[in-house]
Amino acid sequence: MTAWGVRFEDELRRLGVQPGRARQLADETAQQAAECDAAPDSLFGPAHLYARHLLSELTTRTLPLNGPSGPVRLRLTGVGKRYRRRTVFDGVDLTVRGGEVAAIVGANGCGKSTLLRICAGLTRPSSGRVQRTRRVGFVPQDAGTAGWLTADEHFTLFGAAAGMAPRRARSTGEHLAARLAWRPGRKQLTQHLSGGTRQKLNLVLGELHSPDLLLLDEPYQGFDQGTYLDFWHQVRAWREAGRAVVVVTHLLHDLQHVDQVFDLGALR
Amino acid sequence: MTALVVAALSAREVGRRRTALVLVISLPLWFYLVRRDLTGQSLRMLTLGIGWAVSTLTLFVVNASRGVDPRLRLSGASTAAVIGGRLLATTAGGVALAAAYWLLAAVDQGLDRPAAAALMMALTAAVAAPLGGLVAAVLPRELEGALALLSICAVQMLADPAGLVAKLMPFWSGREIGTYAVDATGPEYLWRGLAHGVLTWLICAGGTWSIFAWRLRLPRCPEP
Repeated sequence: MTAWGVRFEDELRRLGVQPGRARQLADETAQQAAECDAAPDSLFGPAHLYARHLLSELTTRTLPLNGPSGPVRLRLTGVGKRYRRRTVFDGVDLTVRGGEVAAIVGANGCGKSTLLRICAGLTRPSSGRVQRTRRVGFVPQDAGTAGWLTADEHFTLFGAAAGMAPRRARSTGEHLAARLAWRPGRKQLTQHLSGGTRQKLNLVLGELHSPDLLLLDEPYQGFDQGTYLDFWHQVRAWREAGRAVVVVTHLLHDLQHVDQVFDLGALR
Repeated sequence: MTALVVAALSAREVGRRRTALVLVISLPLWFYLVRRDLTGQSLRMLTLGIGWAVSTLTLFVVNASRGVDPRLRLSGASTAAVIGGRLLATTAGGVALAAAYWLLAAVDQGLDRPAAAALMMALTAAVAAPLGGLVAAVLPRELEGALALLSICAVQMLADPAGLVAKLMPFWSGREIGTYAVDATGPEYLWRGLAHGVLTWLICAGGTWSIFAWRLRLPRCPEP
């Protein structure tokens, strides 16, 4: 097998494809390249990006047309959170499947962000049970980035955390940024980015390691109209790729884009 | 691998904060210049200045990454890689700072035991990094952490070196090795200083790791 094929197979396995299936896909891809009498990298592009693309295409084709019925990616059973004597929420039951977008809505202070952090595992629930898939991407409402690093350096840092080589992490990050109509400046520090662009960086970092479950806390803060539409287009793409998406929102017109709505305020 | 990337990028972040960097680098110099007329005092003050500068730098580096570190853990990094990488960066910077000041002192003062003086400064820098990390772990806000480090360094500076209070302070090892380096005493000062430095490093590094391992822990959620 060529070096490209080895990288392609490795990336498929890193993305969670079973080794046997990854080998089969790598062989089929090599065969296609041979039939076209072309080198795989000139035909398909970088191996790690094509692996993501192929996986996304394959998952989309296995999803039924009438609603999501993928594997359960997140299940909350009777989850509650108390701070000392104050109960923030109690008895939350929520199930989100692959290929499904769920929105968490509610008034300010009802615990939407806390619930999302519980889903991520960053905050412990006071009661109840959380079951979720291992590969999770979390996009906080603010912070979560380092002001003195560039976007490329963030890709390197978060990629290293996920076991990706620096070059691969950077090219994947730039590829994902392009989907949000953003081309990161090589030398521009994050603290000099606009609020909306910093949120784009946040989104890319949440998706960089190709999670099965994306947890987004009002990720469109500071987006202009075009970027806001790009964002929901991206959410639809994730949904079609079989990923589960949970988005905290307070904008009611967002709800047309989602499969289920969980009103946290209604529990009170 | 992850720890090295974290270390390299932490160093790059600090390197971009030019004004802060100049202040950190120059801090030990003022300590040195105040007592330049006395070789022993100037070296001890210089060493304490290095300890203060490196511990404060670590405090700010660790505190500045509070928003990023939980996300790195979620992406798959271990606590040891994240915190170890940051301590590695400030330790390396601190040892480089110590080397530069050792060169200055060697040229300016003519040291009798230059290797021991180098050890005194490098050990203090190495202890200062996890000390700053431990203070950052215990006191998450920068002002409180900076004031705590100021208190530690002030007590270290003013306490009777033979008394118990000075021995309980983190930079006592530098003073002991300094006595060996400057006053031509027996090697027992060197060994006592080394033992104190190693023990302090273990306590500070272990304490930092333990607190962050608890704070950045991720629950084992079962697959649905």
